[in-house]
Amino acid sequence: MKDEVISKNSQENMVDVTPFAIKDCALIVRICDLLPAINLRELHERVANCPVDSLYHHFCETAIRPSFDDPEFHNDFARWARRALHDHVLAERLEILHPYSFPHMEELRKEILDIIADRLSEIHYIPWALHDQAFFFKQATTVVFDTNRIIETPEHLCDAVKEMSTSSLYYHFWEARRRTPEKIDDFSFWLKGWNDRGKPLIDAFSRIDFYFMSLKELQDKLCTVMEEVGKTWRKK
Amino acid sequence: MAEEVKSIQLYEDVVGPAVLNQLRQLAGNLEGLKVIHVNSTKTGGGVAEILSWMIPFMRELGIDASWEVIGGNKPFFHTTKLFHNGLQGNQVNLAPHHIQAYEETNRQNADRLRDKLEDADIVFIHDPQPAMLLQLCPNRRGKWIWRCHIDASQPFRPVWKYLRPHFESYDASIFSMAEFTRALPHPQFLVAPSIDPLSLKNVDLPQSEIENTCRQFGLDPDKPILTQVSRFDRFKDPLGVIYGYRLIKKSCQAQLVLAGGGADDDPEGAEVLREVKEAAMDDPDIHILLLPPDAHRTINALQQASDIIIQKSTREGFGLTVTEGLWKGKPVIGGHVGGIILQVINHHTGFLVNSPEGMAQRIRYLFNHREIIDSMGEKGKEFVRENFLLTRHLREYLTLMVGLRRGFADRLIAAA
Repeated sequence: MKDEVISKNSQENMVDVTPFAIKDCALIVRICDLLPAINLRELHERVANCPVDSLYHHFCETAIRPSFDDPEFHNDFARWARRALHDHVLAERLEILHPYSFPHMEELRKEILDIIADRLSEIHYIPWALHDQAFFFKQATTVVFDTNRIIETPEHLCDAVKEMSTSSLYYHFWEARRRTPEKIDDFSFWLKGWNDRGKPLIDAFSRIDFYFMSLKELQDKLCTVMEEVGKTWRKK
Repeated sequence: MAEEVKSIQLYEDVVGPAVLNQLRQLAGNLEGLKVIHVNSTKTGGGVAEILSWMIPFMRELGIDASWEVIGGNKPFFHTTKLFHNGLQGNQVNLAPHHIQAYEETNRQNADRLRDKLEDADIVFIHDPQPAMLLQLCPNRRGKWIWRCHIDASQPFRPVWKYLRPHFESYDASIFSMAEFTRALPHPQFLVAPSIDPLSLKNVDLPQSEIENTCRQFGLDPDKPILTQVSRFDRFKDPLGVIYGYRLIKKSCQAQLVLAGGGADDDPEGAEVLREVKEAAMDDPDIHILLLPPDAHRTINALQQASDIIIQKSTREGFGLTVTEGLWKGKPVIGGHVGGIILQVINHHTGFLVNSPEGMAQRIRYLFNHREIIDSMGEKGKEFVRENFLLTRHLREYLTLMVGLRRGFADRLIAAA
């Protein structure tokens, strides 16, 4: 049935696209050339001066870090505000930030600085952490691997995503937004070459609120969405 | 029993072909590269354990890797023990004759190793013992990396003041955790330690061997087993473990195993062991086992026989006994310190606790929810498989080497 659909679509809508090469990735993490922050004022000062890659690490690379599904916090600043400074208000304000909604990480930096400065002006003391709970600024290099696997057509995307490692998914869905000119995921970028066949999937992917999902949840969501779209392909 | 050298291919069944493929991609950039690791002992201790698998693996991947061990006399090793303790924050009495012993031994070793080290593409110097070699090899052509296996976050100042200049000139350093680092004028990378899933300590054992080990130590097969494996050291809080165990003993039938070694040649260890025995008060359900350093299979069998692993440290490095326990599919109740925090995730792989009471409460909870013991165990094992096996460790070393040669951008393509 599926093969039938693929061959019918291929004949009706011939497009010239290369297969999608599945990559995988891992991080090598290093400490930034900044002293750790031990209180909120120091955090403000360090955020103002840290490399953009460090902001990216603490906001986006958290997804690929050893952890479990459904983390309470999606970025390290919110986590630190709650766990080390015990400032629940600040933690909530930082947690709601969606890094990919900013056109550039510098804009995100401004927003974080504003939130911290506002908080410092509201309270009459400087929240501080215990010595062993300082905030260390880190950054990472993403190492990209070939998996030697490809996806030939959009119809094969769902099965491929189901079998992908979460780090592959991170690379193609999260990290891609840092890399592609239009700041979109790799799947959507590739699907654009498939014209009408790709469009329903691109639209569906763009509606996924991925940042607040774990990679496993994202994987399930993508598959559900693709199965839905697959049904409409079959009807046609 | 000594570990045999294994082929990296054997690990495919444990980690899958994709992981080995990644290692080969990275190694493709490093073919024929002369890489030397230098430390101060060929056997015993975590560093020697790591190097004994890492060097053959690197060679199998086409890297010209070798391992050099520096020699030294008693005063030298006494001094480096002072350094070790001082870097971990203990107050030590560092005298001029200690410095002299350290520098003289490094000079002698430099005379022996200079040609080889200066010719290497990459040199890894492990811990402070051989750290001075860098400045004694002025014509070095490669990159030199200092690998610190110690928690150097709060060193005793005089020791750090003396050692810091020896570390500063390195091209990079590696620490196990961010919290262990010190400010240094070069990139500092974070590489967590790992375990070897096929080593005597971690390989799956036949049920008969596990049962024999339990019988050998008089463990009751009908009572759940709680096990803490560690040296008899105050930072491991064995007395707290016994206290916590007593709190649950009234309501839960269980036996406690405290297994460790090395107390004979450590005056403080012997003292702690005496206190532990005293605290156990001949309770037949508390088993204090003093094991030889090479009792890897015995430790493995005890861990596999356990229902829950405990590591109630009040201070800890990375805590590889926690990793080992998780790999055996057991939930771990661990102290809220050091690297245990990275491994024990509350309600997922076990529980972090801050007191014997906390430990007791979590044991009671698990005994009353037996199904959670199994599900946590499964999660813990997968967590280790993904994050704390030697293949990840090797991947990060290879990445570091590729990065040092190509430069560290935000992205690095592994394929050569």
